Amino acid sequence: MASRLSLPAMPGVRQIGEIVNGTRGRGEEAVVVENVSKRFRIPHERKSTFYDHLFGLARGGRYTYEVFSALEEVSFSVRRGETFGVIGPNGCGKSTLLKILAGVLRPDGGRVAIAGKVAPFLELGVGFHPELTAIENIRLYGAIMGLSRREIEGKREEILEFADLKRFENMKLKNFSSGMYVKLAFATAIEANPDILLVDEVLSVGDEAFQKKCASKIEEIRRAGKTIVYVSHALASVRDLCDRCLFLEEGRIAALGEAEEVVEEYLRRMG
Amino acid sequence: MWIVEYRELIRILTVSDLKVKYQSSVLGFLWSLLNPLLMMLVLYFVFSNVFKFEDDSFALYLLIGIVAWRFLANGTMTSISAIVGRPSLVTKVYVPRQVLVLSTVLSSFVSSILEFSVLIPLLIFFGVDLSINVLFFPLIHLAFLGLVYGMSLVLSALYVYYRDLNQIWDVLLQAGFFLSPIVYPAEIVPDKYQAAYMLNPVTVTIEMYREALLYATTPSAADLAFVAAAAGAALLFGAAVFGRLEGRFAEEI
Repeated sequence: MASRLSLPAMPGVRQIGEIVNGTRGRGEEAVVVENVSKRFRIPHERKSTFYDHLFGLARGGRYTYEVFSALEEVSFSVRRGETFGVIGPNGCGKSTLLKILAGVLRPDGGRVAIAGKVAPFLELGVGFHPELTAIENIRLYGAIMGLSRREIEGKREEILEFADLKRFENMKLKNFSSGMYVKLAFATAIEANPDILLVDEVLSVGDEAFQKKCASKIEEIRRAGKTIVYVSHALASVRDLCDRCLFLEEGRIAALGEAEEVVEEYLRRMG
Repeated sequence: MWIVEYRELIRILTVSDLKVKYQSSVLGFLWSLLNPLLMMLVLYFVFSNVFKFEDDSFALYLLIGIVAWRFLANGTMTSISAIVGRPSLVTKVYVPRQVLVLSTVLSSFVSSILEFSVLIPLLIFFGVDLSINVLFFPLIHLAFLGLVYGMSLVLSALYVYYRDLNQIWDVLLQAGFFLSPIVYPAEIVPDKYQAAYMLNPVTVTIEMYREALLYATTPSAADLAFVAAAAGAALLFGAAVFGRLEGRFAEEI
């Protein structure tokens, strides 16, 4: 049985795939990715029922599919406290990489080691339930992040205050406007106090005032020494925010290094 | 262990599942109690003339069978879509996926306990002598939980890949309803089939519920051990199948 949660030798360390020797003890690197590959199977004929399978067999059909290689032998590491950018054209494997770091996808080859609690901002409001009230949803989200009941209760007021939703705390989420929804989602995720943030271009939420609040919150988190992995098409913000940067092209590393240089390389190639 | 680490999430998902279940219908909780009672009445009128019971406990006999079966049927039928039904918790964030299955099964488990606890006053009302053997109920119910959870792990994982499994399972449940001693006494099964018939852990479990609640007899150690072993085997098998299929959940949903 491949259970990825079977070896928490050091608290807060989540191992994906095999153990990377030595990385657990050092505490220097927050994220280590070694030779990670991910291939997707794209079937020629989509069979998603028993009926399809039986019918396909009866006609003598065979299960054929094409292999799409989303990531090929990607290796890099992110230091603790670093803001790390990932750029590349559409379909280069950025989102796949982020999902592997989040633990949602399992790599076909290679190793990933992550030290600390990860908050994936792949989408805001994950797990929110429309039939529950704002407070109940905060509790739900906190639990998804693996927080204990006491930790969640301790952060409740801060979250409601940050999102300006104190008045609506007992309102069901289905009655929220989309703006209020997004504010609550962002506030809840950010207050979960993760060690590592995976951010996939979701920072432009809410109205102007709230956006400013978010930006300064992110800056605050950065200064507090948290690790951020930031995937974006906004090259200017990558250059400003990130220390180092990874440039992916067709699932392979095209450049890796100082953010400024990598962004320049990207612009030159995409010219 | 994921159960300990994510116990708060399991608790919240279970409670919110129960809340939604009981609030979304007008009569809420009452409906979930009326359902087995009405079903019992229908089956009573149909089958009470078919099988001649010596005493008049057939209604209660039926009711215990129905309530026990409901846990299996509702538990597996709702948890079959536990993974597919919460795509955002599978594809957007990492939580151990077993959490989703376990919380759905636990919600059915709580419902079932509520149904059983309404049954107790009914038993007393109809003059059944409740004995100390009632204390075996939690033990039997826990073993049944293991069995249902193990089955649910397999079903929910397979359902990700085979989306007509719920239709197939629905038919299999119908067959199972009549293959288990719910509307008829186990004794009517011919002797030569008895051994094979009693190999079904669900059959043995239902019989034990009746022994503990209706007949004031002590369930035999052999029966208890058999059901516990079956539950353990279901858990191991379920975990193994789930672990194998889990890797590509996020891609297939």
